[in-house]
Amino acid sequence: MPTATASNSPAKWMVLPHYAFAAFSFVVMSVLLLFSTDAFGGHYFNPKLLTITHVTVLGWATMLIFGALYQLLPVVLECRLYSEKLAVYTFGLLATGTVLLACSFWHFWVGTLLQVAAILLFSAFVLFTINIFQTARKAPKWTIEADFIVTASVWLLVTGFVGLLMAFNFTFAFLPEQHVHYLQLHAHIGMAGWFLLLIIGVGSKLIPMFLLSHPGSTKKLNWAYNFINGGLVVFSFDHLFLHTGFVPFYAALVTAGVGLFLWYLYDANHTKQRHDIDLGMKQTFVALGLLLLPLLLVFIVSSKGALPQDLLSSIYLVYGISVFLGFISALILGQTFKTLPFIIWMHAYEDYVGRFKTPLPKDMYSHTLLRWQNIFYLAGFILLITGVLLRMQPVILAGALCFTVTALLYASNVFRMLLHKVQDLKPFTYGNANA
Amino acid sequence: METQTPDIGNEVFETLKYIIDPEVGINIVDLGLVYKVSLADDLLEIELTLTTPGCPMSGTITTATEQILRKRFPHLDIKVNLVWSPPWSTEMITEEGMRQLEGR
Repeated sequence: MPTATASNSPAKWMVLPHYAFAAFSFVVMSVLLLFSTDAFGGHYFNPKLLTITHVTVLGWATMLIFGALYQLLPVVLECRLYSEKLAVYTFGLLATGTVLLACSFWHFWVGTLLQVAAILLFSAFVLFTINIFQTARKAPKWTIEADFIVTASVWLLVTGFVGLLMAFNFTFAFLPEQHVHYLQLHAHIGMAGWFLLLIIGVGSKLIPMFLLSHPGSTKKLNWAYNFINGGLVVFSFDHLFLHTGFVPFYAALVTAGVGLFLWYLYDANHTKQRHDIDLGMKQTFVALGLLLLPLLLVFIVSSKGALPQDLLSSIYLVYGISVFLGFISALILGQTFKTLPFIIWMHAYEDYVGRFKTPLPKDMYSHTLLRWQNIFYLAGFILLITGVLLRMQPVILAGALCFTVTALLYASNVFRMLLHKVQDLKPFTYGNANA
Repeated sequence: METQTPDIGNEVFETLKYIIDPEVGINIVDLGLVYKVSLADDLLEIELTLTTPGCPMSGTITTATEQILRKRFPHLDIKVNLVWSPPWSTEMITEEGMRQLEGR
């Protein structure tokens, strides 16, 4: 029988600051939302919405995904992370770049400060991609999950590069098309190339693992990978050079890929042995359900049908919200409570396992706070998209308030875990372990 | 589960039930992670696996297994081998483990 290697987990001081920064960003984003209810009445290209979007995607989602990925990559690829030092530099660049970018957009200072922020962020993505590639090179066997993760990091780099070009274009105006044209490309390769591929790569490994199921063949995932990447490549090429009317067809390719991923998860859910689905996994299933909304809306925004301009603008906004504050945020709100407690637990209690009665990871956070967090989140999301669609500021404000409560509940649970101290433990007296 | 040492086997399995998989909340014996227990001369050898390759619990579970058995059987040498073959599957969960999973 082949023997296995020891744990590949990275140091906690490298992973945990990502969770702290992400929680803080989520609170900041919610507060900004409170002061931006007037920004949802027009076009998505305005300072407040650009700030909120980038705090969400960079400070909240990407920051948390980076941290979680440093912990999960060794699980998926079965080898140690290439460089923890590189990960620390990446954290510093991403955090500083996000703060500077948020200041630039909020005040619409689109000169040097924005350019510096864009350079810092792009540098963070370069270092991150190097770390992912070098780690993947050491992987003992190549899997479809590795394909998704490595390709996602390439799309992140492309997204950052387009963002960098746009940051300089504000001052030097060298791009041939209008700014919004590149913003659409930037947004879509970020959404589908970076977030979606990464989430599928990690989710297809972790979700069956959490459910204790073996969905079997990965053929559906292989096709999902081909469809999503195929759709994104032809979309990017068309958007840059051809400008045909085939965008709904490219959207259909990506949607088909997502459909196959959901089918794979359906199989996993069908064969699961765990029936006590915890709040973290319930929230994950809510996120997967919310994914259907942007998949539907993408056909409306890409076909630009005969809808009134005001309604179309609102649908554009709802489309963006349903991806960033819908699917991605919902998923993070759930999966944080599947990953962070375990990381904290492992570093606090691994030396005590089998000798002392230790708490379990699920004992390290408040389930009541988590339950209310999930309720306020769903209420906030529904109110926000309703308010944006109907252009009713009080409803948007109510949604923003719910999001703020969600963020505060989330942050208090996260910091409760981050500040966890080992309690007095009772040693086992070996007798009947099941007693 | 396989044991070549019926005398000590049950005692080893009972001892290893103190090690709980933190994610699932079930001990590693009822989860079906302990494949083999053997005793040759003074060497107690354990073969165990994890629910998935690359599991971050690998170091924790192997160290805990060594520590707990060393304490329980101080006169024996302990060797723990983490193995991936055969791959763990849910069919390996014991009846007691299934009962706990289903919350019965």
